[in-house]
Amino acid sequence: MAASEASTATSFRHAFGGVLSFFILILIGVLAFSIRLFSVIKYESVIHEFDPYFNYRVTQFLTKNGIYDFWNWFDDRTWYPLGRVIGGTVYPGLTLTAGTLWWILNSLNIPLSVETVCVFTAPIFSAFASWATYLLTKEVKGAGAGLTAAVLLAMVPSYISRSVAGSYDNEAVAIFALIFTFFLYIKTLNTGSLFYATLNALSYFYMVCSWGGYTFIINLIPMHALLCIVTGRYSSRLYIAYAPLVVLGTLLAALVPVVGFNAVMTSEHFASFLVFIIIHVVALVYYIKGILSPKMFKVAVTLVLSAGLIVCFAVVAILVALVASSPTKGWSGRSLSLLDPTYASKYIPIIASVSEHQPPTWPSYFMDINVLAFLVPAGIIACFLPLSDASSFVVLYIVTSVYFSGVMVRLMLVLAPAACIMSGIALSEAFDTLTRSIKFQLPGNSGGNSEANAGDASSASAGALNDVIKADKAEETAKERPSRKSKKKEREPVEKPQRNPRNERKLLVLPFEASIVGIILLVMLGAFYVVHCVWAAAEAYSAPSIVLTSHSHDGLHVFDDFREAYAWLSHNTEVDDKVASWWDYGYQTTAMANRTVIVDNNTWNNTHIATVGTAMSSPEKAAWEIFNSLDVKYVLVVFGGLVGYPSDDINKFLWMVRIGGGVFPHIKEPDYLRDGQYRIDSQATSTMLNCLMYKLSYYRFVETDGKAFDRVRRTEIGKKNFKLTHFEEVFTTHHWMVRIYKLKPPKNRLRGKAKKSKSKTSSASSSKRSGKRTRNPWQ
Amino acid sequence: MATISRGVLLNLAVLALLSTLALADSDSDRAAELFALQSRSKSGVIHLDDHSVSRFLTSTTTPRSYSLLVFFDAAQLHDKSELHLQDLRKEFSLLASSFIANNAENPSSRSKLFFCDLEFKESQSTFGQFGVNSLPHIRLVGPEVKSLKDSEQMDQGDISRMAESMSAFIESRTRLHVGPITRPPLLSKMQIMIIFTLILIWVPFAAKKVLAGETLLHDKKVWLISAVFVYFFSVAGTMHNIIRKMPMFLVDRNDPSKLVFFYQGSGMQLGAEGFAVGFLYTIVGLLLAFMTHLLVRVRNVNVQRLIMGSALLVCFWAVKKVVQLDNWKTGYGIHGFWPSS
Repeated sequence: MAASEASTATSFRHAFGGVLSFFILILIGVLAFSIRLFSVIKYESVIHEFDPYFNYRVTQFLTKNGIYDFWNWFDDRTWYPLGRVIGGTVYPGLTLTAGTLWWILNSLNIPLSVETVCVFTAPIFSAFASWATYLLTKEVKGAGAGLTAAVLLAMVPSYISRSVAGSYDNEAVAIFALIFTFFLYIKTLNTGSLFYATLNALSYFYMVCSWGGYTFIINLIPMHALLCIVTGRYSSRLYIAYAPLVVLGTLLAALVPVVGFNAVMTSEHFASFLVFIIIHVVALVYYIKGILSPKMFKVAVTLVLSAGLIVCFAVVAILVALVASSPTKGWSGRSLSLLDPTYASKYIPIIASVSEHQPPTWPSYFMDINVLAFLVPAGIIACFLPLSDASSFVVLYIVTSVYFSGVMVRLMLVLAPAACIMSGIALSEAFDTLTRSIKFQLPGNSGGNSEANAGDASSASAGALNDVIKADKAEETAKERPSRKSKKKEREPVEKPQRNPRNERKLLVLPFEASIVGIILLVMLGAFYVVHCVWAAAEAYSAPSIVLTSHSHDGLHVFDDFREAYAWLSHNTEVDDKVASWWDYGYQTTAMANRTVIVDNNTWNNTHIATVGTAMSSPEKAAWEIFNSLDVKYVLVVFGGLVGYPSDDINKFLWMVRIGGGVFPHIKEPDYLRDGQYRIDSQATSTMLNCLMYKLSYYRFVETDGKAFDRVRRTEIGKKNFKLTHFEEVFTTHHWMVRIYKLKPPKNRLRGKAKKSKSKTSSASSSKRSGKRTRNPWQ
Repeated sequence: MATISRGVLLNLAVLALLSTLALADSDSDRAAELFALQSRSKSGVIHLDDHSVSRFLTSTTTPRSYSLLVFFDAAQLHDKSELHLQDLRKEFSLLASSFIANNAENPSSRSKLFFCDLEFKESQSTFGQFGVNSLPHIRLVGPEVKSLKDSEQMDQGDISRMAESMSAFIESRTRLHVGPITRPPLLSKMQIMIIFTLILIWVPFAAKKVLAGETLLHDKKVWLISAVFVYFFSVAGTMHNIIRKMPMFLVDRNDPSKLVFFYQGSGMQLGAEGFAVGFLYTIVGLLLAFMTHLLVRVRNVNVQRLIMGSALLVCFWAVKKVVQLDNWKTGYGIHGFWPSS
């Protein structure tokens, strides 16, 4: 683009600018990557939290066994004895990406472990995401805004929270895919090139592979297309940008097993098909308008309109009938709760109860996008001056995403890129104006000279923007001469800004001193943002939650009990042993200890979870029977009472009771509460004091300090000295955070029972035990 | 003498007969009367007072042929939104009308259960008899119940959920079939038809206007204002207020004459608080855009200087205020990160 401009001076300037932008972009990439390394520096290079461990394990499997085995993988290490079909129930994008990265590195003879690759996938893709933001914003408002937006995105806290090193989750790559898809859509819209349209469909495919949030794209782009049509901005470029995306994108999306026929069957996708029909009708109208004289056209319009309307109504009716025939009206609960925010709180408690799905309050915005919240309105206004196809798209993007983020705090992640783009535009426009004001009013400059310069400069300063528009215009005139008349309206807003600098030869500047103050304030605002982001990255979002630290007066304490326990399991138990724990620790146990678990964080089978919950809330003997029937050999509980770790199993225990009681009614929540209060001190109910979870958590606890004082509940426990009859303690970690128990082998019951009904019992029990013996050879 | 005594005996016998008749009669009479009362009320909920309670419940002998489900209402508490009395009353009448509709062909089970409500002001003594001292309260008076205090109370949990859980309560206690709750549709059929025809009529005009390009939608300003408004609306956390049904402000517990507009603690916010901060969020961007795009066109330098100075001041104040408020609310103060060890 730059090279085609006339004089050598400007071309030199453009070349220089290009090189400078290139280096700035590299620095932005480095910034985006390195700000996410706090977790590695402060802790170590580990995978974080829960879900990432599952992704890590899947990636390990992929690198070991290849893609076909991964695709057909039936995992028998979780949900014992049911197992889980992994290949068909995960979004494979993240795993395939990291697997490919690892494969490339290894074939280049860079021997990195799979874990290292997984840990650093998210920071790498954050760098990509900020480059994609640059490209997208450049298409909308020029390179300056692009660079600003990219640097803002590189360190926006909301995105950092999901993409620090080690947070190996779908969102890590999905945000890049989201922005890149939008960029390609805008690029296609600006150029009208089928090449970019195809790339767009491919990028959409990558997004579908990566994250369930792809429905946002497939609804936002149709909305924009519809908006363009309704406001009379239809063009053949819009058609090229939209139609191939729907056709190719839907076909490709259906290839992903977890999406499959959902791509054409669920209501989330219907908007795109509806707009697909509308755009064809509109295209036909425009075509006819082009080949007919105005008079003939008026006649034709009535004809086509009536026909088109009938077709539209028929299709709408069919769609409505289709939608109405399905019980949830074809919408998934989560999408419905976005459209009608009060829906979830009324009808789906399980969605409403998750903390990520809560509506945010204003401090969340300040925490997650910080000062960008102040700049966005300026960006919105800048996008309307002038309004182009591209800028209307980003306006639509920010409006929808800010609304959705208001409903669910989790969607703040989708808002963050839009906020960065808008703030980038706002900041760049503001700096543009302010620096121009300073430059042409420097005390040394004489008035007349500056007047003449200003004309040049203001056109040059808006250069990047004008380039895009000029190029657009050139292409338009070249391509669409036949339908020129019809395009007149559309081009009007585009021509306006070009005319302005030429006609008004006035200095478009602000007062000198005020501009300096303004710049200082803006820089301060930016500095505030940087300070906040660095703090957020370093302190708020970098804890891996598998390794815990605490600061006290005598220095830093590190609690590495989880890995200690998992390592113990993997070294001291048989490969085929089954370990029972609450579902939170399922992914970690399978990934780190490589042992079979009963339930895990993919909570697809409520009954199974309820069984474990029931066992935990039952007395020892009943619990032993339940666990034994599931072939469980070890039970793992997390206990924070000694060190004051609040999210332990005793605090989660009421959920176990509730979920267990939901399926097995003999578990009743009131039995565990004293006057509606949950307590474990001497006032606790006997059911509570005798349940398995209490016993396993507090067994031998009195030996630690003599008083058995629980630091989380801040009280002495109710029952201090007791023995276990059906379980034996095999391992307790350094800080007592994880305790592992083994199920005792069944007692020899022959002697006691033989006296009474000799033949029956003995035969029954022996057959039972012999059956067990085949299953559990260690007994 | 003998005749007299015989006459007395006869009289007594007749009286006894009559009284037993009257007793049997009055039970079915009462049921019939309740029926009549029920059909008179629109939703099928019978309004009781002290007098009728004694007529239908306290002065009768057990077992009665019917049970009563009583909703305890108090008009003076209707304005306390946290009790949801009016909502619950609506649910209760929905339950009543669904029960009546679903058992229309089955008069025997229809006369087994009646839905009633009591108003506190009118029937204070009955409230006392029932021993009701907190609302919302629903009681089922079964056929065997002698003292009103023995009647069964519906769980708070059952009440607070919708008519569905109330019906589950009834079905479990009385073995009567309530059936599905029929909620009135949002729009009646007639309204839907009217709206549909209006849309049909409107569509061609709208299409013509769209083609001509002169609707409100073609006005950029409308889009601009609505975009900024949606932004303001969301950043203010209004969605949170709608979903959680937050009030605009609270009355200070310690000092009722004072109003609390700002709530300390990050998990919650009040309506006015949200709008105030949303306004601060928005105003800065608007002023910035105003300076960069509009103010540059003003020709008088002094006017520019004045406006820009005040705009910058307002911006600075707004940012500072939000930082302060955030610090006060969540306890997070901005500070740099410096590795300590």
